[in-house]
Amino acid sequence: MSSYYLAIIGTRDNPIYELEFASFKNTTILSSPSTPNTPPPIPGKARFAPNVKELLPFIANSSLDLIEDAQFTSNQLNLGKIDTFYGISINAFITPGNIKFVLCYDGNVKEENSIRSFFNEINELYVKTLLNPFYAVNDAIISPEFDLKVKQLARKYL
Amino acid sequence: MSEDIILPSATSLSKLTIHDTSKTGFGYNPAIGPISNSITSETSSILINKRTITLSSAPSIYERNITNKKPVEINLSSLSFLFCEIVNWTHGQSRGIHDLEMKLNKLGYSIGQRYLELIKLRDGIKLNKRDLKIIDILHFIHGSFWKSIFGKHANELEKSQDVPNEYMIIENMPLLAKFINIPKDYADLNCGAFVAGIIEGALDSAGFYVNVTAHSVPMDGFPLRTVFLMKFDQSCLIRESIH
Amino acid sequence: MLYSILILNKAGGLIYQNEVNPGLNKLSTNDYLVLAGSLHGIHAIGAQLAPNIGDKTVPASVEEFNRNQNSSIMSTFKAQSPNTNRSGLQNIETSLFNLYIFQTVTGLKFMLITAPNPAEHKGELNKQYDMAHELFRQLYMLYSDFVMKDPFYSLDMPIKNPLFDTKVRELVN
Repeated sequence: MSSYYLAIIGTRDNPIYELEFASFKNTTILSSPSTPNTPPPIPGKARFAPNVKELLPFIANSSLDLIEDAQFTSNQLNLGKIDTFYGISINAFITPGNIKFVLCYDGNVKEENSIRSFFNEINELYVKTLLNPFYAVNDAIISPEFDLKVKQLARKYL
Repeated sequence: MSEDIILPSATSLSKLTIHDTSKTGFGYNPAIGPISNSITSETSSILINKRTITLSSAPSIYERNITNKKPVEINLSSLSFLFCEIVNWTHGQSRGIHDLEMKLNKLGYSIGQRYLELIKLRDGIKLNKRDLKIIDILHFIHGSFWKSIFGKHANELEKSQDVPNEYMIIENMPLLAKFINIPKDYADLNCGAFVAGIIEGALDSAGFYVNVTAHSVPMDGFPLRTVFLMKFDQSCLIRESIH
Repeated sequence: MLYSILILNKAGGLIYQNEVNPGLNKLSTNDYLVLAGSLHGIHAIGAQLAPNIGDKTVPASVEEFNRNQNSSIMSTFKAQSPNTNRSGLQNIETSLFNLYIFQTVTGLKFMLITAPNPAEHKGELNKQYDMAHELFRQLYMLYSDFVMKDPFYSLDMPIKNPLFDTKVRELVN
């Protein structure tokens, strides 16, 4: 049961999309109320500790240095796990057009394959966004449909 | 607006402020950050129960399949008419030949940025690699990139003998210029500036900073032969020498 | 034997003139303009001279014919026939020269001036007429490609396009 922070970073190191979420798996067990006083946790809602939550954008940003180091040494799009920081693991992906996807998550045992599939599908969604003539590279992605699709992918893969 | 939080990502056409909240519960707002689209109990139940919700009236691009490998062909006439209007419109907007070429280049640039991502995606996951060397990316541009735009490979790819950062892609029969007659007082103009912009956009976004210009170099039998001259930024050469 | 090709805009102004083969008396540019204007006028009057009795399937006016043509193009994406010259002056045959006129949907006119019907065609009067119309079709295609798709050409202005010239010369030779 882990939480995730996804950031899509533009070519000028600017965030163009962010999302915090948690794994939707095993939700049936957790959604049963454990104690009558506390409301049941919302499935899929990120459960980062407050002090970690405010650090997430910084962690994602600091990983950009490592991503740029790898950018011209590896010809892969998916760079895999590139860093850990106080128990937060960081996976990264670079599109051919130099847009970076950064995924930070707590817990360290992760299905690399499912993250790779997740990234690949996000890439396809990103390309579809690019085909919109009203969207220019490095604009924030504010489309609700993009958001919905990303969340559906999160539910499917993570 | 003093309440605007200035974020580099918020400088787009569809600018949002901290007062804009999503009605559907979906959609990222760069002025607020990840709280804007965090998962709530409503959105969570939509996702868990795989409910379908309609966010827009028209079918969106996100529902379409864009990885179809079958080449999509369009009519050369309609393309020529469209390009004719592009040149005509740009011509009316610009002061002089250089300005016109700059504007055409700029129009092509954003196509190049988008097309690079699209065609790499269409190549499929197995072949989907980033090109790290100038020569690799140039082979890609000259080969499959050209083929998917113009239906054929470019004719030649050459490296300048004298200047280390100059490369040339040569096209004997530029498709877009086929019906264009350059008037005498525009002798230096080459409408290939648009295609040069496409190349520049693709190379730039792949991390190869470059300046591309189009030049007419007619040969016997190929009156429209065009040379796309690419001048790479020194930083690319330095990077090549390190890695 | 083809002597000369003329293209008139919809107002009757001469926008293109090419003497592909020598053989005609030299006319000054001004005379060509006058010739074009006169033929345009004769064509328009000719369209009015049609009898109003008889075949009801023939469209009554040029406007109605054009309307039919346009709706056919819109629904089938194909012109029934590119030549809309049904009710005006179509050709003049004299013992010194022949003149053929072809009009497009937009009112553009192509004209050919040729030598008179040669003696060996005496039996088949339509032969030269058919050849002229095949040539019109090709010319119309060249015009659509190399004139209409040129961003530096403005509609109804004289055609000064070496590329078009070359293509026309290739066509007639």
